[in-house]
Amino acid sequence: MTKPVQAINRYKADLREMFFLLFEQFRVNEVLGKAPYEAWGEEEVKTTLQEVYRWVREVTGPLNVVGDTHGCKLEGGRVITPPGFKDAWKQLYEAGWNSIGVSPDYGGAGSPAAVQALVLELLAGSNAAFAMYPGLAHGAAEVIQHFGTPEQKKLYCERMYSGKWGGTMCLTEPHAGTDVGSAKTTAKKNADGSYTITGTKIFISGGDHDLAENVIHLVLARVDGAPAGTKGLTLFIVPRVRTSEDGTLGQTNDVAVGALEHKMGINGSATCVLVFGENEKCVGWPVGGEEKINQGMAQMFKMMNTARIAVGVQGFAVASTAYLNALEYARERKQGSSITHWKDATAPRVPIMQHADVRRMLLDMKARVEGLRALAVKLAFHQDQVRVHSGKDEAQVAYHQGQVDLLVPLVKSYGSDQGFRVCETAIQTYGGAGYTRDYPVEQYCRDAKIFSIYEGTNHIQAMDLVGRKLGQAGGANLQSFLGDVAKFVAAHSGHATLGPAVKALGAAQEAVGGSAMRLLMWFQSGQLALVPLAANRFLEMMSELTVAWLLLQGAVIAEEARAKVDAAHPDHAFYTGKVQAALYFTRNVLPGVTHKAELMGAEDKTAIDIPDAAFATV
Amino acid sequence: MKILVPLKRVADPDNANKVKVNGGKLETTGLEWKPNPFDEYAVETALRLTENGTNPKARQGEVVVVTFGPKDTETTLRAALATGADRAIRVDAADDALDGDLVARALKALVEKEKPDLVLLGKQAVDGDSNQVGQLLAEYLGWPQATFAGSIQSEDDKSLVVGREVDGGTLKVRVTLPAVVSVDLRIVAPNSVRGKHTPPTHAYADGVRFAALMAIMAAKKKPLAEVKLADLASDTALKIKYTGFELPPARKAGIKVKAVSELVDKLKNEAKVV
Ligand SMILES: Cc1cc2nc3c(=O)[nH]c(=O)nc-3n(C[C@H](O)[C@H](O)[C@H](O)COP(=O)(O)OP(=O)(O)OC[C@H]3O[C@@H](n4cnc5c(N)ncnc54)[C@H](O)[C@@H]3O)c2cc1C
Repeated sequence: MTKPVQAINRYKADLREMFFLLFEQFRVNEVLGKAPYEAWGEEEVKTTLQEVYRWVREVTGPLNVVGDTHGCKLEGGRVITPPGFKDAWKQLYEAGWNSIGVSPDYGGAGSPAAVQALVLELLAGSNAAFAMYPGLAHGAAEVIQHFGTPEQKKLYCERMYSGKWGGTMCLTEPHAGTDVGSAKTTAKKNADGSYTITGTKIFISGGDHDLAENVIHLVLARVDGAPAGTKGLTLFIVPRVRTSEDGTLGQTNDVAVGALEHKMGINGSATCVLVFGENEKCVGWPVGGEEKINQGMAQMFKMMNTARIAVGVQGFAVASTAYLNALEYARERKQGSSITHWKDATAPRVPIMQHADVRRMLLDMKARVEGLRALAVKLAFHQDQVRVHSGKDEAQVAYHQGQVDLLVPLVKSYGSDQGFRVCETAIQTYGGAGYTRDYPVEQYCRDAKIFSIYEGTNHIQAMDLVGRKLGQAGGANLQSFLGDVAKFVAAHSGHATLGPAVKALGAAQEAVGGSAMRLLMWFQSGQLALVPLAANRFLEMMSELTVAWLLLQGAVIAEEARAKVDAAHPDHAFYTGKVQAALYFTRNVLPGVTHKAELMGAEDKTAIDIPDAAFATV
Repeated sequence: MKILVPLKRVADPDNANKVKVNGGKLETTGLEWKPNPFDEYAVETALRLTENGTNPKARQGEVVVVTFGPKDTETTLRAALATGADRAIRVDAADDALDGDLVARALKALVEKEKPDLVLLGKQAVDGDSNQVGQLLAEYLGWPQATFAGSIQSEDDKSLVVGREVDGGTLKVRVTLPAVVSVDLRIVAPNSVRGKHTPPTHAYADGVRFAALMAIMAAKKKPLAEVKLADLASDTALKIKYTGFELPPARKAGIKVKAVSELVDKLKNEAKVV
């Protein structure tokens, strides 16, 4: 018999750290109050984050374990979400959190992207599975907002942003995962301009649910006679229930849920096999109308930035609560005595936090989580600068947009990889208790694994970085990035306490620059086989460089601020933590960047050279 | 109905950083502030009395919130505005220049100016736990009072039926308006407040409502007036003087008993409780 699950909140977040990033490190105040963020001031930002945090602890946080235990059910062809999800959905949209970044033209609050990213952290961290439903509805609505015809925008956007209707992204098919271009779903034109859609999609998140009255699928399909590969794909709007122009629901649209996947984690999120047009009665309309036929991949690519950033945020969001829970446990769990009394069996038992290795794990998690969050906020703040300068200063727009493009694969991959590893370290910190369902970290770890797989596996991100992003704008984006790091090094290498760490950052910057040149040389000299072997490693190097840089940037600010606060003030401890995390990362992780550059230089090809048969003879 | 709700901010009892005593004085630097929970219940009650619960966005009446404190207490007022209050007043004063009696006297002057039908406040603030302001205010105004309200029914604008939480149960009283009512925890249960605009079938969500995003954004545009304490109270001398603070003594470690019989023996003969 399964034990009844209690809906208790385990979610923890660190608002002080969020405020530090927004107001002290990235100085979001520079864009607050300016177009298009006229309505936003520091107080609105703080109140919003505080209210969302209060809300998630009461609503979505307690449902995290409920969703994990109950999972989703398929009954009478419809997906039933876990108990409580329906009410949470309703409350989420009543409060307006999910449309915080949406333009006021579509009923949103038009917040800066940096604020939206942190609201997303609170939603995804408290309940990653639940947050998928509104996240996908939002993503799909954004596609329609950007590329839809005026009629499509009018019919779909506000309804999807307000939670009246849900949404999905349907790319994957049994034979077309990473290789999206081999999608076989077809679209045949009808006399009335609509298309008949036929095919099967798999792994569709939120492919059906009972949270909203309708679900709007965005489906990649091939129009009859279109070219093979990604060039022949069109993105279709395919509602679960057909609607009239005024949004009134009509008959169902022949979209069936074939099955639900049974998964390792995010069990509250319905991952569906969707069958379109079993009875040849499924219709769809190309996003943007007839002239956008065969533009599906381009449209998807434009929107992938948003989705990939969101996945990176999911990564550190779950990792952050795993860390904070492990910290709480380590403060309370008593085991063993201090190493200074190791011979004395009667010495008092100490909290495990007093053991050096546990402290190492805690600081390791802290540094990684805070570094990832800083990376995501940096990216989001570049997005905000793009919007602020748009139409006024094209050079600034180009610079900031270039940094956004360059950083997206880092945020997605490093955020999801390290997020998962932090969850694993959190379990290790607990010991056996962490492996049980009495504590939240084992679920966090299971939930976090998917982040490195969906929205393009992390290797695909690494190839995007080395194959597209490094050379983008003739390499100017990378040059600006390396230049920004160099400027920081030049300004702070003489810093009284952080100077040596800043110098180490300089060495890592050179190693990354050199390795980028090496990749270019491989491309030019026809040694292409080496590129995918080194791509993930290069992405990691560049991410570690960026994270170390941002942690040090925060540490310089924290050192200065700490000198002005009383030692009894909790901010004193906060700033000290920022400095220690930066020192830890620069001393224990950053040196690996130079080492990895040397490994790249060794041009090892064993993984290619080994004959297939030699992997195992079983 | 026009309702005035006095609010106080208190040090967040859930925060890791606790109040410290330093040389016989309270150390408040670094404390995180939050609205006194009972005052939040009072705001929630005021909102429920002045709306149709099925359409809480339209206010039928006016809810005015007031606090006493330095500039940064405006955050507490804005939070109340974001949940639905119409306007706010901050009476400018340093935290240590106030006591319950002075607050009650200043509130009396404010009530005479604002002329609300009802003053709703928390039964006590969870910092000093004095439980005085409501009673003193009613006395100074010469108004009827109902303290520790666990339920309120309002059928018309002339009186309220208040269920008071008393030892052993609930005491129902009818108070004629204008009146002072202080609220207790159970006032925010789903069916505790019966306003005349809300259908009797409507049940509220348990507890205090969340501020919606749009309301947070709109709160900045709602009026927030500043008033000088001296303009409300001619005599600002404090009746209560604090001579010193100390933390309660740490609890002594317990002992382990070997058997149930020993426990029973100790309860009988040492603690003398059984
Ligand atoms: C829980 C969950 C939710 C999902 N939600 C959605 C959704 O909402 N919508 C949607 O469309 N899809 C969704 N997916 C699908 C997801 O995006 C795919 O699983 C992912 O793109 C990988 O495809 P695949 O599983 O077919 O793996 P494969 O493509 O078979 O890849 C297997 C391995 O091979 C590697 N590989 C594949 N091709 C190459 C190559 N060319 N070069 C080098 N390495 C390669 C991959 O990196 C991976 O390690 C979801 C999946 C899961 C598990």
